[in-house]
Amino acid sequence: MPTRIQENIRVAVIHGPGRSLRPVWFDWKSRKHTVTAISYHWQQKSGEKLLLHYAVSTGSALYELVYSVTEQLWMLESVDAEKY
Amino acid sequence: MERIIMHLDMNAFFASVEQQSNPELQGKPIAVIGAAKRTIITTASYEARACGVKTGMNVWEARQHCPELILVVGNNRKYTWTSAQIMQLMLQFTPLVEVFSIDEAFLDLSGSLALYGSAEQIAALLKAAIRERFGLTCSIGIAPNKLLAKLASEMQKPDGLTVISAGKKAAILEQLPVKDLCGVGSKTARQLSLLGISTCGELGRFPLEILRRRFGIVGANLSRMGRGEDDSPVTPSAADDRVKSVGHSMTLETDISERREILRFLLQLSEMVGRRARRYNVGGRCITLSIRYADFDTWVGKQETLDRPVNQSGDIYRAAVAILDSLELQQPVRLLGIRLSSLQYGEKQLPLFAQERKQVQLVGAMDEVNDRFGDFAITYGSLLQGGTQTGMGSRVISPAWRPAGISNVDVG
Repeated sequence: MPTRIQENIRVAVIHGPGRSLRPVWFDWKSRKHTVTAISYHWQQKSGEKLLLHYAVSTGSALYELVYSVTEQLWMLESVDAEKY
Repeated sequence: MERIIMHLDMNAFFASVEQQSNPELQGKPIAVIGAAKRTIITTASYEARACGVKTGMNVWEARQHCPELILVVGNNRKYTWTSAQIMQLMLQFTPLVEVFSIDEAFLDLSGSLALYGSAEQIAALLKAAIRERFGLTCSIGIAPNKLLAKLASEMQKPDGLTVISAGKKAAILEQLPVKDLCGVGSKTARQLSLLGISTCGELGRFPLEILRRRFGIVGANLSRMGRGEDDSPVTPSAADDRVKSVGHSMTLETDISERREILRFLLQLSEMVGRRARRYNVGGRCITLSIRYADFDTWVGKQETLDRPVNQSGDIYRAAVAILDSLELQQPVRLLGIRLSSLQYGEKQLPLFAQERKQVQLVGAMDEVNDRFGDFAITYGSLLQGGTQTGMGSRVISPAWRPAGISNVDVG
């Protein structure tokens, strides 16, 4: 089961082509985690807030990153290291 | 002109989305459950189904069939967003798309063949687009009507494509069990078997008068279904947006029996129903309270008709509490539901008296805040007390869920 983290984090992102975003790496717990694959992407509206969710793998764990388009903030939603 | 109808059914939808989200789950027996504390299987992957795991089983029973079963707590937002995107893909091929449930839809392709050549070609393009974009598979049925298209999509799973042409229909239906038809439940199938009918062929040939006497108006429908006839149109959601009721129910994380706790959930449900009714400017005169007990088999449902249509959460709550007070609860409660029906559209009248007018304005202001910051951003203080259950709002995708309009419910 994933563990909920909900921490704002620093993320390196490739914008484009078009309106797409691709997280490349992120800092968490004073470590740089390189994204090896984006396995799924979905969106959610919360009031007027648009949230973009990314299920990403680093090879050693699965993370859910969330970008708030309205607030321009990245958050680490959860981590699932159990099966890795 | 013969119609060309397609039925598309996503394969093990929730489980497949989870397997795509987490590559470690691919090829493994997994089951999606509603919440960590509840134990009913919502959907199982094909690997789990091969071991005998089925939707509706409890986890203990499922583990008896499949000890290595991996449980995943479902993420409704992921499923509703994916479903809405897939429905958008379908609209590229025809405007006549009827969303049947979160993972099923009918498409009327009769007017699209000139552009795409054949229904099989459209099926191949749709399958490829869904696979490329989401990594998911679906089963597709193509036939002259909805009944047969749905039947066809059930014939090859997963990732199937089955065509039932008008010429092949009689041969397929002759030996097909009646219970395989969409709309014939186990109760109807039992009643038909008492008449000596077990296959569609037998149903289609059975004297209509006897079916009418036994089943009333449904008898004629059953006879037509036995012959594979169905002239119901594919109705796009926009044309069918006038719903007959607005309702919400919630299965609680733990069974409850304390009145104070029950009232808290009734207030939450009243707010969910009222907010959706106000958003679409409808009011209803009939309030129904549904309760399911801890044994999950016993239902209590009671309704109250008011003297005027309401959509204010407070009015709905008071009516629901009045119904609750007229009941004697037999067991702890597992599920609560409130439904508003006898709807009137365009319901907006400012009350005559100042106190009531203030109340309406207050609710209007709360709605505006919640529209901006999300549901329950501002709510009743009593909903925030002793919150041992998880977050507020809808946690279940109902069969009536639609990607847009009044039937669209933001599920958590």
